[in-house]
Amino acid sequence: MDEYPAGSLDHSIPFLLTLGTRTNTPYDSGLSAALKEQAVLIRSELPPLESDQAHALLRYIQDRDASQIPCNGRDASERKYRFRIKTAERSLLLPPRRARLPEGIESPPPTAVLHSPYSPLSPVSPLYPDGLIDTQWIRKHQDLVPAVLLCFYTLTSDQSLATLCDNQIKTDVNNIRALLSQSGYKTRLAVVLLSDHVASSSSVDGLQDRLEIIRRGCGLDSKALFLVPGSDSQEELERVAENMLTTLYVVSVEYYRDLGRHARKKRGRGIVPQPTIPPTSGTSQTLSLAGWNVRYDFKSAVFAEYRLEMDVALRSYEQAYENLLSSELMELIPSWSPRWNEARFLADVIAVRCLRCLLWNGQHSAAARRWLAHRERIADFVDRRGRGTKNYGWEAWEARWAIVMADLIDKIDIPELYPATLRLYLPPEKSVMGERLQPWELLHHPGYWYRLAARHLQARKAFAYAIPEDDRRSPSDSPASHVAKSAFAYDTYMCPDPYEEYPLGRLGVDHGKMIIDCLMRARAEFLKRHQTRYAAEVSLECARDFAMADDWQTIIDLLRPMWKELSLRSEGWIAIAEEMNWALRTAAMEVDDAEMVLLADWELLSRDFSKRPKWHYDITRSLEDVTLSSKPSVSIRDGQLVSFISASFLFQSEEGKAGQSVRGQLSIKSNAHVGSAPVVLSTVYLSFDGSLDGIILRHHETAPQSQGKAVITTVSLTKQADNDDSQPTVPAEVGSGVTLVGSANLTLRPGQALVFNMEVPLREPGETRVDSLTVNVATEMFDLRQELALQERGNENLWYISPSATKHVAHPQPLVVRVLPRPPKMEVRCPVWKEQYYTDEPIDLEFEVENGEDVEALATLDVVLFGEKPPVFTASIPGHEDQTSSSIRSEETRLSGAPMGTIGSLKSLTVRTRLPPIERSSRYDLTLKVTYFLPTNPGTPISQTAIFQLNVVNPFEANYDLLPRVHPNPWPSLFDPDTISLPITNDSDDTTPQPPTGISQAWSLVTRYASFASEPLLVTDVDIAIQPSTTSRCTTTTKHTNLPTSGTGRLIHPKTIEEATFNLSAQKLTIDDRSHAPLDISLIIKWTRPNPDTPNTPNTTSLPIPRFTLFGTEPRVLASVTHRRGARGSTPLITLTITIENASNHFLTFGLAMEPSEAFAFSGPKLTTASLLPVSRRVVEYRLLPFEVGPTVGDGAGGGGGGGDGDGAEQGGAAAGWWIRPGLVVRDKYFQKVLRVIPAGEGVRGGKEGFEVWVPRLVAGGGTVG
Amino acid sequence: MATAIPSIACLGVIGRNNNPLHTSIFPSYDPSNNSFRPVRTPLQFSLILSSTLDVFELRSRQNAAAGVGLTGDFGLLHAVDDRLAAYGFETNTGTRFVVIIDMRGRRIDGALAAGLDGRDRRLAGAAAGLREGEMRPVFKAMQGAYIRLLQNPFFDPDEHSPPTGQGGAKITNKKFADDMRRIGEAWTPGITNL
Repeated sequence: MDEYPAGSLDHSIPFLLTLGTRTNTPYDSGLSAALKEQAVLIRSELPPLESDQAHALLRYIQDRDASQIPCNGRDASERKYRFRIKTAERSLLLPPRRARLPEGIESPPPTAVLHSPYSPLSPVSPLYPDGLIDTQWIRKHQDLVPAVLLCFYTLTSDQSLATLCDNQIKTDVNNIRALLSQSGYKTRLAVVLLSDHVASSSSVDGLQDRLEIIRRGCGLDSKALFLVPGSDSQEELERVAENMLTTLYVVSVEYYRDLGRHARKKRGRGIVPQPTIPPTSGTSQTLSLAGWNVRYDFKSAVFAEYRLEMDVALRSYEQAYENLLSSELMELIPSWSPRWNEARFLADVIAVRCLRCLLWNGQHSAAARRWLAHRERIADFVDRRGRGTKNYGWEAWEARWAIVMADLIDKIDIPELYPATLRLYLPPEKSVMGERLQPWELLHHPGYWYRLAARHLQARKAFAYAIPEDDRRSPSDSPASHVAKSAFAYDTYMCPDPYEEYPLGRLGVDHGKMIIDCLMRARAEFLKRHQTRYAAEVSLECARDFAMADDWQTIIDLLRPMWKELSLRSEGWIAIAEEMNWALRTAAMEVDDAEMVLLADWELLSRDFSKRPKWHYDITRSLEDVTLSSKPSVSIRDGQLVSFISASFLFQSEEGKAGQSVRGQLSIKSNAHVGSAPVVLSTVYLSFDGSLDGIILRHHETAPQSQGKAVITTVSLTKQADNDDSQPTVPAEVGSGVTLVGSANLTLRPGQALVFNMEVPLREPGETRVDSLTVNVATEMFDLRQELALQERGNENLWYISPSATKHVAHPQPLVVRVLPRPPKMEVRCPVWKEQYYTDEPIDLEFEVENGEDVEALATLDVVLFGEKPPVFTASIPGHEDQTSSSIRSEETRLSGAPMGTIGSLKSLTVRTRLPPIERSSRYDLTLKVTYFLPTNPGTPISQTAIFQLNVVNPFEANYDLLPRVHPNPWPSLFDPDTISLPITNDSDDTTPQPPTGISQAWSLVTRYASFASEPLLVTDVDIAIQPSTTSRCTTTTKHTNLPTSGTGRLIHPKTIEEATFNLSAQKLTIDDRSHAPLDISLIIKWTRPNPDTPNTPNTTSLPIPRFTLFGTEPRVLASVTHRRGARGSTPLITLTITIENASNHFLTFGLAMEPSEAFAFSGPKLTTASLLPVSRRVVEYRLLPFEVGPTVGDGAGGGGGGGDGDGAEQGGAAAGWWIRPGLVVRDKYFQKVLRVIPAGEGVRGGKEGFEVWVPRLVAGGGTVG
Repeated sequence: MATAIPSIACLGVIGRNNNPLHTSIFPSYDPSNNSFRPVRTPLQFSLILSSTLDVFELRSRQNAAAGVGLTGDFGLLHAVDDRLAAYGFETNTGTRFVVIIDMRGRRIDGALAAGLDGRDRRLAGAAAGLREGEMRPVFKAMQGAYIRLLQNPFFDPDEHSPPTGQGGAKITNKKFADDMRRIGEAWTPGITNL
């Protein structure tokens, strides 16, 4: 916009001129020298005001100047007025209304009418005779002729001077008024009186009168006189000023309306006014009617714009525009005429003003469309009538036209396009929505417009550079004919002639600067809206022009941040990165930025970029033309550049052990351009996380390597010597740990892979991970360091077997090796470990801890017993006090950190652990953990753990039979007072146990126990323990075990059954108590391990016997036998005793019937009745004589068990006897119920069909068996 | 008189990681020597495509805030200048299609236009601009082609847009390229099916 003459495009704002106050800015009439001498001087006679109040008011008014505020109607309600403010002290100049006749004209015709000097009618005007309108006219109204002249006066409060001063004011105002009306301008006059006195109520009336007098005296409107009361308050002043300006604004709008009306009136007349004197020079052509119409339309449009009637203005402007470009006007102007360019200029001005009106009304898309339309129209026009659009002049205009739009958008200040809205363009307004729109018609933010301008400027430059040399020569040096020819070849509308545009031999128009200017403005706009990539594009373009201007440093400043920060590389916009690289490299070369050159060269080596022919691609040569102040050192992060080197690492196995080493393969691949020079890496640093710090490989020149795809080297690694700290290549953070060094040939040819096999020692358990690779290139010229992340793709682990062969290694994390702890050489053994330990036995365990390390070890011991309710145990370590474990949880007892002292190398230590007897069979895990430190590596604890499984089992199991017997003692009789005790009286407190006097029973407890131990055990005693009962008493009468009575015990082998019989005698405490009585017995086995060396105290295992029930009221029939040698031969005589017990309270009668049998003869009652009193017993005896028809051998097998007597002698021979079954039936007469006959002694057994009696076969020599 | 109508100047497919997957460039009519040639160099198109990423980012930020834009059609991204304009579409997997339209890419010959009946002539005249949603068939066709590409069992999407979020290989599928070429050449304003 700046290229257009000042004022031509500005928004028209009512012009207010203040007069009468001293100001700092001197009044500039703005009149040209020619007009100045004819100018109308308006002068105030009174001295200018200098009071603070006057200054404050003036400043306030000046601050309200609206010429810089955004041109939009948004805050119309808040902004009640718009003024362009100018100040004058005492006098001002107005342009003359009537131009003088030029000097040369001697005798003006009498009809000559003088016109305004801005009119094409006046010969002095540059428009004379056929110009349309120019900037002068616009400026006249904007800068020279005020709409309102605001005069400042002091209203004195001094009563004595009041009249005098008032009169002076009146005189002065009248004087000014007279001068104004003489000048012919209709400028409105307004007076502001500043009271120098603080208003008091008394003087208000007087003041009003004075004001009225002044107003009348000056002939002023009531709206044109303002009083500023003499108050100090700024608010008051502002209020008055606001009020005044609002009022004056209405006046000014009225002023411009009058002017507009005037212009329309003149247009309406439809006649072509005659110039003051007819033109005599040139074509003698005067302005046509159409021209005048354009002029009038333009004027009314401008005046409407003053009044902010934008719709009206737009209509008038459009009318003027159409007429201007119509066939009657511009089509008629020859393109060689200066009027041609003037018309183009006017078209531009009108178009710009149209655009502003549209934007003012918020018709953004219409504005953009108007913008396009004007361009198309003019392009078409220039193509047809002018010099075409293929020249620098047109491109210059195109650029200007774009910039104008950008400036307009800025001026209009569209909040919807603020960067904060993140909007790049405005949506189309409603009126054009749904139409086919050009994308460009959606109003984009100014960045795009500047960008467009830059493109056209570049085109302009291209055209300018194509101007032939002849035209570039200055006209003074060129032959006249050539000048004449070229004069019409170039479009020079608002741009210089070819010999100025691109002169030969000297500098002309600085295209580069213009382009850069636009681009930088565009870039700023893009950056504001986070369009970083677009800004980068613009920057690249900028760089190209900076390069032309040799402004290399700026290129670097511009591109370097983008080059560094933009994610072009990681996103794969390689072509862009490449462009940037070359631009930066070229620039860096010029400013000797060695670092940048190196970075760019390093990156450009990659084959990802296209290869530039004839480029050396040798990193060592990149600094050849750079002047170095110091040796540059460049460090490149991973991912910062597209690196032509890629690296991968692969551990051969997933696991390794501390103290051992694992094979790893490092491969460094080059993706450099084919034909580029090999890069010699000085060192390669492989950094580790875990076992070691890193591995350094140094270059070591060897014989030329093969040219193959891969070169495999096996590197032997040595520990870095401590004094070898001269390596700057190793990052600073390294140093404390272990770094290994190897050397190999590190010459990397393009496309080649360097493969290094190495044994990586592992030190600490955990995870060892290869972190990154740093590649160093050190030459005499520079140091370069490139960090590389190692590729980690689990499915592409290729292990080079030979340069041409690879194999796949399945390794999900190729960069990681899991280091298992160093195998400890401390051994924990238990020399005597038994498979089973037994309950009720104190368990002593001995462990041997042997130090197999080469050096002595300081050890501590942890013992953990884990299982269900583990006992608390004691551990004793020689030389230390016994330690008792503590219970941690219900399933764990632990002894932690028991010191074991120092164990010498290859020495051992015996640790004893003692567990108390455990009652139940259970299973425990006993963990012994020896943690020790070696003096060679005191920081690293090494631990050895041994786990022993402790099986505690019950050594014995038993089963039991309780067999009834006939108690030999008589039962107490209710009829015998001696046998029964008196019932215990309640009041008796005699607690001494009464001897039992109740009924008694005899039983035999047969226990069969077996050892379930894994080894023979020595049983020393078997006994039973009877739980005392409250209602009865039970005692052991006899005991039969097969143990030697000496007490030395007997060795019981596993899984053999042993029997022990206990005869029990039970008696109720009282005779009245005839209820059941429980019997709780446990079997007690005393045993030891048969270890002759350590005679232990016997362990007691107690086996609870399930509860038996004794007594009861039911009657019992017990059968017992005695054998006697019979009278005849080998057949014994058997006495069968049937004992009937009636423990009930009833009198019972039983019928006994003995059936005769073929197996024996008997004597005794065949059929009898037995009556039993309550609590009584009766015995019925039979004598049986078996016939000698004993069964054959084998039939009696197993008979020995009859009646439960476990006498082994019966089993001694199957033929030792046989069983007979006496058919005895005992029947309860009353209940008619057959009672079972219970065997109650040896030789009787119960059977399915009744009891059976054992008949022993008498052997020669006689005597019964059993 | 000849009338310029829009044509496709460039079709771009951009991957989820902002990586260029495919670029097809189409020549535009050059009135100066009455021939067809691309209006920009491949590098410039690359720059234009890259710059649309800014717009995609801006838009997705706006859309996320406003809760709109579920269709993936971003419409006009921006007009690069008075001639080129970029339109965008984002699939729900983050792949983006960009169409760069040259507003003066083709020319309807005046004589030809005169021969058309009134309606067609109006069409030709109106075709100077573009309606909203005019790019939808293009995007639909591009998406169709992309889906066909994805259905190819030998095409590994992860190779082109690795889940690591870094770069990715370009699409080298010839059929896809042919599809793009067909779409770019066949499109004219007002076409509803490609």
